[in-house]
Amino acid sequence: MKRTHVVAAFTATMVVAAGLTACSPADGGGGDGTDGPVTITIVETKQTNIDAIGAVIPDFEAAMEEQGKEIKVELIEDILTDEQFKTKMTQQLVAGQAPDVLDIGESMAVGWAAAGYLHPLDDYLDDWDGWDHWYPEIQEALTRQDGSVYTLAGGASVQNFFVRKDVLEEVGVDTSQPETWDELIDRLIEVKEQTGDTPIVIPAGTAWGGGTWFEGFQPLLGGTDTDYYDRESGTWDLESEGWLPVFELYHELVSNGLLPVEDLQNPNPWEPTKYVKFPAGDIQVAAQGTWGWRFDWGPEGATPIEGLDEKVITWQYPALRDGDRTYGWINTGGGYAIPESSENKDAAMEFIKFLTSGEALAEQLAASGAASARDDLDDVAPYSNEPRLLEAGEDLAESILVVTGDGTDQIGQAVATATELILSGEADGQQAYDAFVQDATELLGPSLVKE
Amino acid sequence: MTSLVDAPASVQTAIRPPAPGRRRSRRTWPIVALLLGPSAVLITVFIVLPAVYGVWLSLTNTQLTGFAARNPQFIGLDNYTYLLASADFLASLGQTGTFLFWSAIIGQTVLGMVAAVLLSRTWVRGKGFFGAALLMPMVVPEVVASLTWASVLATSPEGTLNRLTGLFGADSTAWLQDFPMLAIILVNIWRGLAFAMIMFQAALEDVPAELIEASRVDGASAVQVFRYVTLPLIRGPVFLYLLLTTISTVGVFGLVYFLTRGGPGGQTTIAAIYIYERALQFSQIGIGSAASIILLVIVLVLGVVYVRLAKVQV
Repeated sequence: MKRTHVVAAFTATMVVAAGLTACSPADGGGGDGTDGPVTITIVETKQTNIDAIGAVIPDFEAAMEEQGKEIKVELIEDILTDEQFKTKMTQQLVAGQAPDVLDIGESMAVGWAAAGYLHPLDDYLDDWDGWDHWYPEIQEALTRQDGSVYTLAGGASVQNFFVRKDVLEEVGVDTSQPETWDELIDRLIEVKEQTGDTPIVIPAGTAWGGGTWFEGFQPLLGGTDTDYYDRESGTWDLESEGWLPVFELYHELVSNGLLPVEDLQNPNPWEPTKYVKFPAGDIQVAAQGTWGWRFDWGPEGATPIEGLDEKVITWQYPALRDGDRTYGWINTGGGYAIPESSENKDAAMEFIKFLTSGEALAEQLAASGAASARDDLDDVAPYSNEPRLLEAGEDLAESILVVTGDGTDQIGQAVATATELILSGEADGQQAYDAFVQDATELLGPSLVKE
Repeated sequence: MTSLVDAPASVQTAIRPPAPGRRRSRRTWPIVALLLGPSAVLITVFIVLPAVYGVWLSLTNTQLTGFAARNPQFIGLDNYTYLLASADFLASLGQTGTFLFWSAIIGQTVLGMVAAVLLSRTWVRGKGFFGAALLMPMVVPEVVASLTWASVLATSPEGTLNRLTGLFGADSTAWLQDFPMLAIILVNIWRGLAFAMIMFQAALEDVPAELIEASRVDGASAVQVFRYVTLPLIRGPVFLYLLLTTISTVGVFGLVYFLTRGGPGGQTTIAAIYIYERALQFSQIGIGSAASIILLVIVLVLGVVYVRLAKVQV
């Protein structure tokens, strides 16, 4: 045989062998590591979480080794926005190629659990005494429409208004908790007159994606009306009485020039608003979850605010209608999940239990800025050294939560489109509500709309 | 009457009974199959089957998330009737038409022709520089081009265009908010100009110089020469370019997604953005597929019109 033929045959063999090797699992696969080495994968999309998870992986591997389990963890670092992550991971879930552990938000948890992409964790939780330490309201929030738990979140966030106290004091505006929206709007107008700024940012419009519903509209709606979703029938009540007042509130804020409309219509609207203007004091009030203390404006956050604790305070959401009270909004329902396609579910659950317990959880909460979802973490450092987060943890008990189900994506889409109409000046509150009802009815279909 | 026996040899060859040809084709079909087979397989696997699957999806209520993802149902033409009655989808088609007409048909084609004609003139100096300058946008990857223009058109006073207008005392302008469609049209013209210029330059080189000279001798002006001599001779390449640029412009996604994401207020939600939002962001694969098929049909119709007008074989 000619020498070139030998080289060609060798090369071809190596290519085929390499291809077949790539197609085979990296290890034995399956199990919890007692029957041989198991490597699980987890994907994180935020640098804060990448750092926090990366720091605890060696501890987990060592803990497992002590228990006679050979589990290795591969951290996939993929910096993405939530929308990008959702789009990308949905494709991977459909293809059965998702990592073994996912760290996901509520909208993904609802949609993916309903689609059957996530593995129910009930059997694991029944056998684990750690689950008893979750606050009952968080357990309820994590329970999906079919009665199963698909995600485990060790932390929860309370959504409030973050307020630049230093700027408000400088222009002589009251910094005490406003009791009603009328009171708050009067103060915002006063700020606008003195500074020329658009003083408040609440997610709205299509550019903010799912955040318009989860961080903008729903906290406003849930504070004045908890009947918009009927958990028994799994349907959305589009005629529930809270929708219209919230659309009217958005319109009032826009027509008074209080919302940064241009920024909200930009791609990535959180960048000019939360990452530029709020830190600069040019936006004075921002709807924000607890993670603002760390992830957004903390010393290691996206855009640190020097002297954050002195300059920034929080207000609860004011009452929107007569009879309402001020409130915080619980933001949770996401957490760690295991894809149904994972071949390493037992090992993945071991990792999730580790991440949602003890010091590992305390470190993540302190890093990302979330309150504990468990009742046994207040004394565990470094979480115990974070008075803001401990305070948020106490607020959890008094905050509002409305658990929803299938259809959140469609509702989020219809709300985003309707609020976009308000931003662009094409609709007032009533017109936006009408457009929302029409859009949501079409998108949800008859089975998800309450008669 | 001429019999086959009396006919010249060449004619006999031409009307020879088909049997020997069939024998030859029988001999050559393995090599033909070998040469065309891989292409046919690839086209079938990567184009025909996905297209057929896309048509099937468009007839179902397939979703990627939610309970509906578990059990997709055949729903006939419901997605099509929904889309054709949807103001959002029709608006996206309208915006696609606007984008296509001004950026591809008018902008790229006309300016590309002007650039090609100018660069074919002997008196123009610095042809290499101008040619290279026009070619640069085509070489730059789409993502890089988009990010560059996002920086140029940035709302803040630091945006390149705002810095330039600021030299004349103008306030900062939110270009991508105030003139979103104009912005993406200009960027697409900038990006596609080079290809038009190259195609038209090649076509102009094939126009016989003696025809131009003869018409000039007959007293035709430069515009008349172009209108009545040059243009009819390069009609084929012009319509071929129009066909290609129509297909590519209707499919433009990255440029618009990076610059405006279809906003503000849906003003730049061209069909490709609408399909992406529906199919991938909102996980409604059935509706997204139906929208894709409608767009495909529109492009096919336009393509047929171009081919008929050009009277060229494609």
